[in-house]
Amino acid sequence: MTSLTDRYVAATLRAVPAPRRAEIATELRASIEDMIDGRTGAGQDAAAAEREVLTELGHPERLAAGYADRRLQLIGPTYYLVWQRLLRRLLAIVPGTVGVAVGVLKATVGDDPGAAIGAGITSAFQTAVQIAFWVTLSFAVLERTDTSLKLPEWNVDQLPEGPVERDVRMIDTCASVAMLLLALAFLPWQHVQSWVSGTDGGRIPLLDPALWRSWLPFLAAVLVAGLLLEIAKYRARRWTWPLVAVNAALDLAIAVPVAGLLLTDRLLNPDLVARFEWLGAGGHLDTVAGVAVVVIAAITLGDVADSVVKARRRDA
Amino acid sequence: MVSEEILRTHLQELRRGTVVVASLVALRHPDYGYALLQRLAAHGFPVDANTLYPLLRRLAEQGLLTSEWNTEEVRPRKFYRTSEEGEAVLRRLLDDLAAVQTSVAGLIEGVDR
Repeated sequence: MTSLTDRYVAATLRAVPAPRRAEIATELRASIEDMIDGRTGAGQDAAAAEREVLTELGHPERLAAGYADRRLQLIGPTYYLVWQRLLRRLLAIVPGTVGVAVGVLKATVGDDPGAAIGAGITSAFQTAVQIAFWVTLSFAVLERTDTSLKLPEWNVDQLPEGPVERDVRMIDTCASVAMLLLALAFLPWQHVQSWVSGTDGGRIPLLDPALWRSWLPFLAAVLVAGLLLEIAKYRARRWTWPLVAVNAALDLAIAVPVAGLLLTDRLLNPDLVARFEWLGAGGHLDTVAGVAVVVIAAITLGDVADSVVKARRRDA
Repeated sequence: MVSEEILRTHLQELRRGTVVVASLVALRHPDYGYALLQRLAAHGFPVDANTLYPLLRRLAEQGLLTSEWNTEEVRPRKFYRTSEEGEAVLRRLLDDLAAVQTSVAGLIEGVDR
C-alpha cells in the first residue's frame, strides 16, 4: 500500500459519518487500486498512475460530500430568498435604531458629543455584524438539518402594487436628512470639539459663543423644521406649492441670518479670528465674508429655483 | 458560436439523469465499481469515477441496488446488482426516456412541416 492512496482514503473518511467509514474505506481503496491497475496494465508507471487516479477522483472532501449526500453550499435555493429578505429588513432597521439610541443616551449622560456619535456608530456596526452572523448561521443550520419552515407558498397576491409615481425619491430624502443631521450636529460639535486649539491648548469654538444666546438656537430650530419638511415632501411624493413656499421660507431663515451675521462680523468667534493673523489682517475677513455670502445666496436661489421647476413640471 | 463552456454545461445537464438509467441497466449483471465504470465507458457513457462511486452507494441506500461483498478474489470488492425495486424504477425511467425521444422527434417534424 502506497502512502498517497492511504492519505487520500484517510482524508475522504474524515468527512464521512463514522458508522459508514469502515465500509467506504474498503470499497474506495479497492476502487482506487482497480483504477491504478487499469493504468499500469496499459504500461504506465505505478507512481504516475496513482497520482493520476487520485487527481481524477478530485478533492477528498468533495468526494466525501457525494458519499454523505452533503450540501456544498452554505444556504441553498430553498432558503436563500427568505434569508436575503429577512437579513435586509433587519439590517435596514435595527442597527440604525440601536446606533441612534446609544448615541442619544451617551450624549445625555456624558458631556462629550463627539464620543457619543462614535459610540453610536460603533454599536450600530456591531449590531449589524451580529445580526448578519446569527441570521446566516441559523439558516445554514436549517439547510443542513432539512428542517421545513412550513412557509406559505408564494402566490400572485403577494405581488407588489404597481410602481408608485414619485418625484421625491427615498435616496434623495435620505441624503437631505443626512445633510441636515450633519448640520445640526455641527453646531454643538464646533463649540466643544473644534479642530482649532488656542495658545493655551484649549479648543476654540468656530462660531461666536455669544450666538448661543441668540441666533444659534434659532438656526437649530430651522434645521429641525427642515427635517420635518423633508418627511412631508417624501410623503407627498412630489413638490407641491405649499411645500415650495415652506422650503423657500426655511432657506431664507437660514441664509439671511447667516449672511447678516457674516457681513457684520458677528458669526465667527473673535478668538478664532485673533488666532489666525492672516484672517484679521488687511480686510481679508471681509473678503471671506463676501465670498461666503455670494455662495450662500447662490445655493439658496438654486434650491428654491429647483423646487419651483419641479413643482411646475408636475402641474404641467 | 456559443462558448465551449456553455455547451459543456448543457451536455452535462442532458447526460446527468442518464447515468442512473445506464447503471440500472448495466447492473442487471452484478458488477463492482471500477468494472462498471469501464463497461459504461465502453458503451458510450463516460462517467467520472467521483460521480459513479457515490452514486452507487446512494442507489443502494434507496433500495434500487443490492450489494454484496465478494471476498474470493485478491481484493475484496463490493458487487452491486439491480434490485426488484430498481427494475421497477428502471422501467418507468426507460418509458420516460422513450417519451422524451418521441416528443423531441415530434417537435422536430412539427417545425419542419
